[in-house]
Amino acid sequence: MFHYYLVLGVRNLLRNPILTTLMVLTLAVGVAASIATLTILHIMSGNPIPHKSAKLLVPLVDNGPAKSHVAGAPPDDKQTSYIDAANWRREAPVEMRTAVYDVNGAIEGLRPDLPVEQVGGLAVDSDYFAMFEVPFLHGNAWTRAEDEGKTRVIVVGRKRSEKLFGNENPVGKTIHVFGQDFRIVGVRDTWNPVPRYTRLINSSGGPLSGEDDAYIPFNTATDVELYNNASTSCQDDERQPGYAGFLKSECTWIQFWFQTSDRAGLASYLDNYASEQRRLGRLKRDAPVQLFDVMEWMRYLEVVSNDTRLSVWLAFGFLLLCLVNTTGLLLAKFSARASEVGVRRALGATQGAIFRQFLVEAGVVGLAGGIVGLALSAAALFVIGKQARSLSVVTQMDWPMLGLTFVLAIAAALIAGLLPTWRATQVTPALQLKSQ
Amino acid sequence: MLRMQGLSKVYRTQMIETHALRGFEIHVREGEFVTVTGPSGSGKTTFLNIAGLLETFDAGEYTLDGVDVKGLSDDQRSRLRNEKLGFIFQGFNLIPDLDLFDNVDVPLRYRGFSGAERAERIKHALATVGLASRMKHYPAELSGGQQQRVAIARALAGTPRVLLADEPTGNLDSQMARSVMELLEDINANGTTIIMVTHDPELAVRAQRNVHIIDGQVSDLVRRMPSLVEPRAQEPVARPAIQ
Repeated sequence: MFHYYLVLGVRNLLRNPILTTLMVLTLAVGVAASIATLTILHIMSGNPIPHKSAKLLVPLVDNGPAKSHVAGAPPDDKQTSYIDAANWRREAPVEMRTAVYDVNGAIEGLRPDLPVEQVGGLAVDSDYFAMFEVPFLHGNAWTRAEDEGKTRVIVVGRKRSEKLFGNENPVGKTIHVFGQDFRIVGVRDTWNPVPRYTRLINSSGGPLSGEDDAYIPFNTATDVELYNNASTSCQDDERQPGYAGFLKSECTWIQFWFQTSDRAGLASYLDNYASEQRRLGRLKRDAPVQLFDVMEWMRYLEVVSNDTRLSVWLAFGFLLLCLVNTTGLLLAKFSARASEVGVRRALGATQGAIFRQFLVEAGVVGLAGGIVGLALSAAALFVIGKQARSLSVVTQMDWPMLGLTFVLAIAAALIAGLLPTWRATQVTPALQLKSQ
Repeated sequence: MLRMQGLSKVYRTQMIETHALRGFEIHVREGEFVTVTGPSGSGKTTFLNIAGLLETFDAGEYTLDGVDVKGLSDDQRSRLRNEKLGFIFQGFNLIPDLDLFDNVDVPLRYRGFSGAERAERIKHALATVGLASRMKHYPAELSGGQQQRVAIARALAGTPRVLLADEPTGNLDSQMARSVMELLEDINANGTTIIMVTHDPELAVRAQRNVHIIDGQVSDLVRRMPSLVEPRAQEPVARPAIQ
């Protein structure tokens, strides 16, 4: 019978194209608004590495001065000092770890026809590539030995590689960047996680946009005295001059990541570490060490703003209004068919059969609303993406959102159709048959 | 086939009570052609609606083809209606958006017949009323008489035990009315019980029996075929459970 009801539903909708168009458009606009905002929220709040996000942990140690400390207040800063990073890299009981900071410099002299260009990248440890599953087009990451040896090696991003070398494999070539000659050991394939969770506090467009041109070893970067190119916070009054002084200071500028299956063990290590540092007089504040996994870290840094959440609620409020309108239109449409209901009831249709027939018809409206709503959602996302480059990456609809569009549209239509459908089943057949 | 005993139906509003049927008694045997006449407001349509299980009644007994319909749920009444009754209305009541094939198909869909059986029944029913060649036409493309024939085909397609006709010729001119009446007589001759409400005395007397209703009660029996009027031995009244 479902096929019969479906055919009847389509026929009845085609019979009154103006009313049908109104219903479908009303529903589609509401669905489009909801899906467009939900898509942005979905991408911004999605887990970029779901299978291991709980194992990737960010520590936060409060190394601020004692004078401005308020007990229980969150740390002033969200990054790590070089001292802590160096200690953790040396002794933390974890599977892998990496320090991360932004570096920026000129690339020059490769080819006479190429102008000097700025290159933005990250200084990281070799574990970075395995921890975040960075894909390689050519070559590989450098080794821990090369980390320790402060070797001048570099991994370049695919776009930068193609710009410099075309489709040629550049592994083994040397480029002059950051004022040094670096040997290329690998080319990172296209990899653009959104949000850029490995370095949310960055210099290239915030958590939602930008791409790194190159990666060099952390030790090498500090050895050639590259400063952090993103946010750096210094509350250290006793800071000594020069780069060596900067490294010995309590300035925070490094994003640190651990990978471990033993979160409790790491937390215990960090607590002991902080206690020891306090005992040594380095840490001035009696604040607990915090540990965040990937999702916790993104929430802590408020990657999804309250405005984004509010816009989703508003869009769903709008969808509710559209539903009320659709209900009204369906009521008008179904009421006009009371005589048909009377005839069908007289010919043996149960109330349940009438309910199913009209509900399927409402579902057909939802299906049409879903198709139109999908087109409108895509258009809305396109327009939103055009407003700001940083938004363009979060305005890509994926398969789950595509499916959700149809589920939402059909569910909305069924909800909108419940009252009109129930009203249709309440038709008194005898009254309708006589009044014809 | 159809027996009502002491049947009462009262319509109530806040202000008044209207006794549409009071102590109504009728017994229609299998294969009978009974016409029901009476002045407007006498209870003819109420009787037909109750007989057709479209309305419930307040008191009394009603047995249809051995099934006591009192206390049946709405769904049970719908199924019984679909299996045992066929309806013909004064206003034809065809669904305008469906062609003749699909109109006749409506009761068969609810019966749960297979596609092949439905198609066979529809073709046969439309052939019976002489409209087999117009299966893909829509009701609006037919004359009133032809529309009523389609309604008859729709009523016949499910091979009902009883055909209930509410002034089936009321909207037709005399020639078409005669034609429809002849068709009903043919159907009755093939064994289908027919109960027809009519205002037309000429048509009323063509039936085997005429029941006249006044003030919700049977007032008179016009006996054209005496052998059919007196009930034979009392039919046993079974009460099979309606699934």
